[in-house]
Amino acid sequence: MINGYKIYNSKILKVTPEASDSKTFTLSLPYKGFSFEPGQYVMASIPGFGEAIFGVASEMDNKKSIQITVRKVGTLTSELHNKKKGDLIGIRGPYGRAFPIDLAKEKNVLIVVGGIGIPPLRPLILDALKNSKKYNKVYIFYGCRDESLLNYTKEYSRWKKVCDLNITLDNPTTKKYRKGVVTELFDIKNIPADALAFMCGPPIMSKFVVQKLLEKSLKPENIYMSLERHMDCAQGVCQHCAIGPYYVCKDGPVFSYAELMNFKSWLSPI
Amino acid sequence: MTKAKLNQFVDYLVKNNLVYAPRYNVEGYLHLAELKNSKDLYLGSELPLDSWKWYLLPPFQKMFDYQGQNFKESLPKIKNQIFLGVSILDLQALTLLNQVFEQDTYYQEIKKKTIVIGTSHVPKENFYKYFAKFEEDKLEHLQFDIFLAVQKNDYKIYTGSEDGQRLLDKFDYKNYQHIEYAGPIREEGLDPQMLAIKDGMQNYHNQKIWDDLGKRCMQCGKCTIACPVCFCFRIYDQSNLEKDSGYRSRCWDTCFYNEFTQVAGPAPAAPKHRLMNTTAQKIYFWYEHHFVRTPTSFSLPGCVGCGRCTRTCPADIDVFQTQRDILKARQRKK
Repeated sequence: MINGYKIYNSKILKVTPEASDSKTFTLSLPYKGFSFEPGQYVMASIPGFGEAIFGVASEMDNKKSIQITVRKVGTLTSELHNKKKGDLIGIRGPYGRAFPIDLAKEKNVLIVVGGIGIPPLRPLILDALKNSKKYNKVYIFYGCRDESLLNYTKEYSRWKKVCDLNITLDNPTTKKYRKGVVTELFDIKNIPADALAFMCGPPIMSKFVVQKLLEKSLKPENIYMSLERHMDCAQGVCQHCAIGPYYVCKDGPVFSYAELMNFKSWLSPI
Repeated sequence: MTKAKLNQFVDYLVKNNLVYAPRYNVEGYLHLAELKNSKDLYLGSELPLDSWKWYLLPPFQKMFDYQGQNFKESLPKIKNQIFLGVSILDLQALTLLNQVFEQDTYYQEIKKKTIVIGTSHVPKENFYKYFAKFEEDKLEHLQFDIFLAVQKNDYKIYTGSEDGQRLLDKFDYKNYQHIEYAGPIREEGLDPQMLAIKDGMQNYHNQKIWDDLGKRCMQCGKCTIACPVCFCFRIYDQSNLEKDSGYRSRCWDTCFYNEFTQVAGPAPAAPKHRLMNTTAQKIYFWYEHHFVRTPTSFSLPGCVGCGRCTRTCPADIDVFQTQRDILKARQRKK
């Protein structure tokens, strides 16, 4: 019988330091024919340290490698940060439902991310850079605690050519970036009501961003968010990631707001 | 099958197989244990304190051995086993588990070496009307190998699988009827009570029920151990004493533990990184699993009405009373 928990080894091809507490790992494909869509995730593991989910952050059509960006927050991620080029890590996946980027073709796209929520949306940004005519206007709203925690800073100049990149920081140390929370950007930028919103961030951000988006007359079914949670099995069995009637691992991690609006426990349980 | 013949059959099974069955222990509690002699067997309407998931979904299950970076699959090594005297409520639970774990290598490895022998005994107090009385036509929606339908003086024998037929043939007993499994959903459609409770939880939320339970529940997690259809697990790694080797395994988890939804961070910083912090949230999550998510995913009730959680709860939380409260709140607001 096929074992759904089977782990494939990937070689670390490159380690790129990103923010002060995160690194991007470029990995060889775990197995032949591995492909993913933006918003999908893999389970990465190190023997003895466990397993956790990471959104795939690389270009979709890269047939040679994938990238994950890891913030150092616990046991497994600390050990991942100790890994060097040439080391192996275990991967299984990809799992989950992706952002419906086909719906965004020739439409205005708004990407709202908070902190380490940006990796699952980077494939979409890179796709927009590559096919600049595929989407209409692409806005990126990126909120972060401080400058040292911003990811992919080296790519911003490239992003800005195609996307309208807006960054807010809770505690800016220089005048380079705005001070404030990500929702304040909605008062400055005029988001067209027909835009598709893709977001990923902490629950508190999702709550207030959704309010703003609805104020801007976006339809609930055009608001998509990735709710990555604690997961153990990634197959809709173990219950850790469950919210309301759904399993984030299997039915998500990407949900439209129309699916979530009728129950409270997607933000925090009752 | 007469009672004497049944005893012969049980002794025949015990002689050649590992048989688990309900039996009273020295303290007078009905537990599941290995059966060595037909005299110890209990066949009656009382349910054993523990459920059959102990054997199908053991509390600890090794999944992989690792050496360096390489994981090697480690399948459960078990002998052929027989579950004897499984009540129809527990058959319903097994039918659900079989669906939930249909793609799980470890569960299937154990299941394929297991023969399930059910009985029509039903506990006297029963919340679900459907199982209050045993009727033959219910059997086609339950998964079993052999079934003993209790008659006045003897047992009527049904088989639900080829394995069951072969076992009876080997014992040289021919007087049985076969029932083909027709899937878990009944002809008359989904269980109306299941749908009503699900609707109540989803559309007629009453915060008071959960706040009250939150005050009484002490998060011990006993109900999750006693419940025949609680199957949460966590996966963890354990190192051996030698360098770079160890195993990955899974063990039962309970949604009442703080770590259950913790996403990051060391212990002091953790509350920020958990989705469930209050007791009310946790007990709501437990009910949501049984009465919302399971019906949504499998169209089957996530509670078989065995009442084990109520029996085991130190705070005396009655699952049936809560269901009545949910239904009442729905009725009031409707």
